Parts: sequence; C-alpha cells; structure tokens
Amino acid sequence: MLAIAIQLFIAAFSSFLVVGFVSMYDPDGLGGQEIDVAIVGEDRAVLEAAADEQEGLNTVRYDTREAAYGSFENGRAAAVLETTRDDQGRLLVDVAAPEEGIETTLLVVQLRETLEAVEHAERVGNADRLESLPLSVPDEVDASPYVGFTYTILLPLLLFLPAFISGSIVVDSLVEERERGTLELLRVTPLSLGDVVDAKLAATTALAPVQAVAWLALLAVNGTTVAHPVALVGLVAALALLVVGLGTVVALVAPDRRQAQLLYSVAIVGALVVSTLLPEHPANTVAKFGLGSATGTTWLLLALYGTLGVGAFFAVRATVERVDPADL
Amino acid sequence: MSEDHRPGEGDRGDRPGALGRRARGVLESASRTARVARWEVSRTTGTVDRKTLFVLAVVAIAVATVGLSVADEGLGLEDEIYVVGVDEDDPYYDVAAASDQFRTVPLHEDGLDGVYGADDPNVDVVIEDGQIGYVGGNGEAAYDAFRDAIDRYNEGLMAQEEDEAAAYPVLVEIDYQDRSFEGAIEPSSDGDSDTADGDDTPDDPDGGSDDGEAADTQEEDGDGTEAGADGDGTENDSPGATDSSGDGDGDERESESSDAGSDSDGDATGLEETPSVADSSDGAVSVPGSPSTLSPPFPFRSLVLAFLFVVPMNFVIQAYGSTIMDERINRRGELLLVSPASSREIVAGKTVPYLGALVAIVVAITVAIDGGPLSVAATLPVALLFLAATFSGAMFARSFKELTFVTVAISVGLTTYAFIPAIFTDVTPIALISPLTLVVMDLQGETPTLGAYLVSTGPAYLTAAVLFLLGIGTYREEDMFAQKPVPSKVVDAIAVRVRGKRSVPVLSVVFLPFVFAAQLLAVALLFAAPPFAAVPIILVVAAVLEEVAKSIHVYAGFSRARFEPTLGVAAVLGTLSGGAFFVAEKATQIVQLVGLQEFEGAVAAFGPETAAPAVADGPFVFAGIVLAPLVLHVVTAVVSVAGATRGRTSYAVALAVATAVHVGYNLGVILLVA
Repeated sequence: MLAIAIQLFIAAFSSFLVVGFVSMYDPDGLGGQEIDVAIVGEDRAVLEAAADEQEGLNTVRYDTREAAYGSFENGRAAAVLETTRDDQGRLLVDVAAPEEGIETTLLVVQLRETLEAVEHAERVGNADRLESLPLSVPDEVDASPYVGFTYTILLPLLLFLPAFISGSIVVDSLVEERERGTLELLRVTPLSLGDVVDAKLAATTALAPVQAVAWLALLAVNGTTVAHPVALVGLVAALALLVVGLGTVVALVAPDRRQAQLLYSVAIVGALVVSTLLPEHPANTVAKFGLGSATGTTWLLLALYGTLGVGAFFAVRATVERVDPADL
Repeated sequence: MSEDHRPGEGDRGDRPGALGRRARGVLESASRTARVARWEVSRTTGTVDRKTLFVLAVVAIAVATVGLSVADEGLGLEDEIYVVGVDEDDPYYDVAAASDQFRTVPLHEDGLDGVYGADDPNVDVVIEDGQIGYVGGNGEAAYDAFRDAIDRYNEGLMAQEEDEAAAYPVLVEIDYQDRSFEGAIEPSSDGDSDTADGDDTPDDPDGGSDDGEAADTQEEDGDGTEAGADGDGTENDSPGATDSSGDGDGDERESESSDAGSDSDGDATGLEETPSVADSSDGAVSVPGSPSTLSPPFPFRSLVLAFLFVVPMNFVIQAYGSTIMDERINRRGELLLVSPASSREIVAGKTVPYLGALVAIVVAITVAIDGGPLSVAATLPVALLFLAATFSGAMFARSFKELTFVTVAISVGLTTYAFIPAIFTDVTPIALISPLTLVVMDLQGETPTLGAYLVSTGPAYLTAAVLFLLGIGTYREEDMFAQKPVPSKVVDAIAVRVRGKRSVPVLSVVFLPFVFAAQLLAVALLFAAPPFAAVPIILVVAAVLEEVAKSIHVYAGFSRARFEPTLGVAAVLGTLSGGAFFVAEKATQIVQLVGLQEFEGAVAAFGPETAAPAVADGPFVFAGIVLAPLVLHVVTAVVSVAGATRGRTSYAVALAVATAVHVGYNLGVILLVA
C-alpha cells in the first residue's frame, strides 16, 4: 500500500514539476486572455501584422513615446514595444516589460513567437543577401505539450520504480532475516538456503510486473495508450529479475544493512548512468515501445534485458552455493 | 536517569550552590553526549568493509568516466521517438536528419494520401512537396516537435551566413521595469535582472547601466535605453550576441528546454555541469539579441543550485535511519539505555555527527556556488527537518523494510515541501513557504525581510523540534524493542507526553507548527490550480488538519488510559484543547507579514479571520469576530474528543463531524466577508 502511495507521490511530484516548468516556458495553456501592448516607432506595420496572426496579443498604436509609456505606467498596456531601423536595415525592438510575475512570463513567450514570425518575414525579404533561405515553419496545431514528457519521463519512471523498489525490499528482507537471526530458524525447517532465497526472489520480482500492468491500465484510463503493452510488461519483468537478483547477491555478500543498501543504491545509480552507453537508454526503449516507434535495436535490447535477468538469477544461484549458510 | 550515579564524582560536591551544580550537570551531560557522538562516528567509519569500499570506488570511477563522456549528449531519452516519412530529396529531410528526436523512413509510395489511407502508417509525421501532415495518436505531438526542429534547423542555417545583418534582421532588448501599482504585491527583485546580466555579459557596460536605471522613472529609463541602443552597444555587441546564440550547443539546449520532454533531460545534465546549462537557460535577457534568445525571467540557475542542497540530505538520512534502527534490532540499544546517559543525550549524541556532516556539506556547497550566510541559515531548518522526520520514522518503523518506505516517503515529501514552492520565487510571495526560496533569493542577490525568514523557516524549526520530541518519547525499553504497527507507536509517542489535564492545551499549541507547515504546503501545491477547485480542497484539508491537531493527543490519552473516558472529562479536555489552539493560532498570524492573505487559497487554509483584520467597527462586532472562532474551535474539539472516548471508530466518525462543522463555518464566513 505504502509502496504504491509513494510511487504515486513521486509521479505526482515529477508531473507537477514538469507542468510547472512547461507552464513557465509555454504559458499559453494557463490563460487565454488577450494582452495589450503599446507599439511606437518607425516601421511597425510588419510587427503589427505578425501580432495580428498571434493569438492573445493585441497591439495598440501610439504616435509618441510619452503616450506609449504613459499607458504602460497606468497599466493599460502590458508592455511597450519601440521599433527603430538601423542603417543595415535591421529592425531594433526595445521592449519595456513589467517586472517578474506570471503575466510577464506569458507576455515574453507571446512576444518571442511574434518576433520570430517577424524575423522570418524579414529574412525572406533579405533573400538576395542570404545564401540559403530558412525553411518555412508550418502552422501551429493544438498539440498537448505533455506528450513527450509522458512517454519519455513519466512512463519509464512508473515502470522502473516498481523494479527498483522490489530490489530494495529484497535487500532489506534478507539482511533483516540475517540480523535478527530468523534466517537460522528458517534453516532448521526442511527448506534449504537456496529455497528461501528463491522464494524471496520470486515473490518480490513478481510484484513489479503486476504494478506495471496496474500503471499501464491507469494510464490508459487517463487517455495515454501504449503501443506495445506486452513488450513493456516483459521489459519490466526482465529488469525486475535483474535488479532483484542484484539486490539478493548484495544482501548475501554485504556485511550489514547500511552497506548493503549503500551498495545496492550506488549500483543502481551506476547502472543507470552506464546504461547511457547502450545504443538506447532503457528509458528511451520504454518511450519507443510506448509511442510505437520501436526499431530492431529496441527489440534486441528487450531480448538483452531478458538474458541479463536470467543471468542474474543464475548469479544468485552461484552466490547461494558459494556462501556458507552458517556464516550468515 | 538524568542524575549522575557514578560513585566519587557525584559525592564530591566541593562547589556548593544550585547554580554550580546545574552548570556541572550541563557539562557532564554534554560530555556524555559527546561520547555517544564519538562512538557513533568511530562505529560508522570503522566498520565499512574494504570490499565495499572497493566496489564503491569501481562504480564511482565507472560513473565518472561514462558521465563525463556522455555529458555533452545528454541522456538521449528523446532519441528517435518519432518517425518521419520523407524522401531524401525533400528540403525538410535535413531537418529530420539533424534532429535527434526523429527517425526517417522513405515516403509512402502513394504520398500523403497513401499514408492517410493506410491502416498502420508506421509514421507520425509525413512530408510531401513541402506539405507537412501528421497521422496517428501521437501525430500532433510529433508535428509540434517537428516545428521546433525546423526552428532549430533554421537557426543553424542562419548561423553560417556571412551577412550577419541579413541573417538576424530583428534585434530585441527587454527592460524589466517596476510599475508602482504592482509594487505592493510583488516581492522586490531588482537584483534578479542585474545578476543575470552580470553573469552573461560581464563585458557589456551598457546592459548593466540600462538595468540599473530600470527602477527609475520612465522618462529617465527611456533615455537610458535609447542611449544603449543608439550608441555603441548595439553595433558592437550584436555580432557577438548573435554568434553565441547561433552556434551549436548553447542554442540547442536553450530551444530544447522550451519543449516538454527534454526539461528533465536538461535537469539531469544540469546536475553534472550546472554552470553551462544554467547560463544558456537564463539567456541574455537585456542584451540585444535575436528573438529566439528571449526567455521568460525564470530563476532556473538558482533553482538548480538550491536543489543541490537537498540532494545530499536524502543520502545522509539513509545512514541516519539505519543507525537508529540498528539500535532497535536484537535489543542492541539496551546497553546504551542502561548507561548513565539519558535517552535525550543518546539521541543528541547519535544525531550530532549527522547534523554536523550536513552542515559541513551545506557550507561546502554554499562556498562552491558563491552563496551567502543566508543560504546556510535557510538550509539548516531543512536539514533538521530531514533528520527529525527520519528519527521519528526510524523509531516507529517495525523493520528495515518499513524504514525504507518511511525514508523514501520523507525524502519525497520534504523535497516537495522544499522545492516546489521555490519554483515560484519570482512569481508570488507564496513561494516563501519553503526555506529554499530564501536560498534562491540569496543567490539572486536579494535580501528577504526578517518576517519572510520567520515565515519560511519558523514552521520547519518547530516541526523538527516536535518530531524529535515525539521520537524521544518512544526512546525507551518498552517501545524500542516492541513490535507494534506504526500508528499505534505514534499514539504511544503522543501519549507519553500526555500527563494530566494541563498537558492537553500545551500539546494543542505544540502541534500548531505541524498544522501550519502542512497547510502552507497544501496552499503551495494547489495555488496554481483554479480557485474553484483549489479552495474547497484546501478548506477541507485545513479543517481536517486542525481538528486532528486538537484531538489526537486527547485520543491518545483516552486510549492509553490517561483519562477517565467520560463525557464530562471529554467536555473539559475539548474546551481546553480548542481554547489553547485558538490562542496559539491568533498569536501566530505572521502570515500577514508577507501579504499571504492576497490568495484565496491562503484565506481558505488559515481561516477567514486573517483576511478581515480591520473589521473592528465596534466593540460588539469586534467581540463577535474574536469570539466566533473561539466558540468554533471549542465546539469542534469537544465533538471529536467526545468521540475519542469510545475508541477508534467513533473517534473517526466524530472527527468527520467536527471537520464538517469547521468547513461549514469557514465557508460561511468567507461568503459573508465576500
């Protein structure tokens, strides 16, 4: 229960962060109100034309700087744009914007888009002076800015966390049996040490794919469908086997709980960093399966993780045989 | 156990007088604490296995080499996630090829129509003769990403042009000005643009002087700007500015961070090579540059740096939780408990090394990132809070497994508490909830007021103190080694502090910081949400928190048989608890110092009284305003306490009833005032 609550919390935390960041950079989503800006200076027609195209930005023309700044001071205009042409034909735009606030963020983003449109138009006008013309940018569509985040961050996070938590559980569970001396009790039963370890391995490994299925179902309810759910669950199972196997080995070999947990978490962080050397980062693999743009490499990597998982299982077997149960 | 039983020393008594004895007692207590601390340090550092060290070193080396080699490329989370159907001779082919996000496949033989008609088109974006279309569920997102890729590609093209003026025909310069009518709400942050300026263009005197004048009157400022634009500023600086924005790395990062997915990507690399990422993201705001260099004023760099403070805490509490838990396994802590050291001294001794380590880390980070003493002062309560929460968590947990969950929950919860509000540092005063906001302000060269410091750190300090107090309450033989569920341990810990009727109002007051911190967090989390959704949630959360704080200790008292479970006793205790809570709440209205009452959410959380402090029209009205909440607190407390006399279920029911009454009252008053 708590495990699921924590994952939910972490997911909510990261989603909140990203929604916050995205809103900062792309605050269109926050509010659709029109922003009035004052325009003054020469050659402003091109700017006004671009602003007309831009939703949410209204231009008000002023003939004198004083009038423009006056309307800025008393709050009628959110910003003053002052345009001049220099002798090289460049359009200089001086913007006076209010100090920080959510409106300023919104304003700056709107201005950037507008001015980029102006820039593009001017570049096309300068065609004779340029070697290559910029490609025209197609019209905007109403796309959710969160799709990339959902598939490349959230989905991998939700799928990997169960595996990592399972590994941590197995470390704790084995070390605790050792430290409390209950492993001794288990060994007087007809079970061998190998049986005990296998049972713990199986129980904790199985948790991860079950949680993955639950997450995928929840995401589907939320409108985020996944192209290859079976492949993803298989990937989680393989990773869980790998990670739990690693945790088991660490728990059997490390001298106490602190060092076991330290080794385990350092190993996980290390593995995540080192995995950037792979042709695809595991998170990228998940994203590709999710979005349905999997390549041959993606499938090969899935097979590799499966092999590694099985390898980890045999590594656990080998460790159990090497370890003297009386020493634990 | 606080008395000294060692023979010889206690009997000497050559310094008579109560004062001298007390001073010696303090000294001895300090020396016992120091001894426990010494043991803790030697045990921690002495028992690390050589094999462990070897493995750690190997992993560290591997991570360092790999990390450094891939730091430039990022994690590649977004590589080739979208598929573009385009022929190689199409002008847009190069766009797709230049971007990491896209994989190209040859165009469908029937062109656009063929793709649209196909059952399984296998592409997200399709391009034919300059026409760009998209298909499938992710088509829109892919198309959006492709637009960004075109922008980046164009920037790359333009950067190679000979004729700078033709390639960058528009130059923008932004001046941020303080408008007087907004000044009352916004925290003053003149320093921000100055700092950003100094970082990015240390060699540009014009940018600096423009900024310095930003706060002046509009006439003067206009002149200043014009001088900057007309004079040498623009002519000389623009090639430099455009150059740096046009070529490669910095620019790519900047435009990448403007779309959704790669944010955390940038974040992850940001931790490794903070300065370069931060620089490009902060952007040259007030130096003339092409429009794509415009970025909203956002303290990204300071935020990432502030986050650095929280990261090591998550690791230190792992070790700290382990050592506390270790004492509780196989009755190992018994030896320390029978020693002359009191439980308080043991806990202090075990905590001091970790607190010291955290302070050392914090100071080191502060020096490394050029922070001031304020950064340390603001991070200290966060460190204490981490340790306090871990301590009581380790005292309550039944096993290492449970402890792992508890520490993860603490890590995530406190990181949220510290980090999320700080994102809004420049946006709203609500950010002051988190001490990290002070760090962000410090790094930006701003000085918060004393009131701001108190609001930010006060709840954290007090909550940490309360958590330590609760944990120490269970640092005794009968709780440490017993296997009880976490909730029952919590009740135990509270019940230890319940001694007679007098302790009930005291505990109500003690729990106030909890309530305060939790309500602030609720406000911070929900302030971005639309008011119609946020206000009801906050109302309920605030009411639940207050009702629990007023009654949980009485419940603990009843369930551990500290009080007679009769309705009469319940009425007395409820009145005491509610009254004390009311008094304490009134005394802590420091929220007003920072103008937090501007927010509907804050009003909902802290009760409408804070919103209408000046309604004292007459003695009767005033009495009504003061007494109504008092009556409310007392009534609801009596209700939930009365439920607490009959065990857990009826307590929960009574708590729900009290909460409903509380919400109803707050809602009524808010509507009345509005």
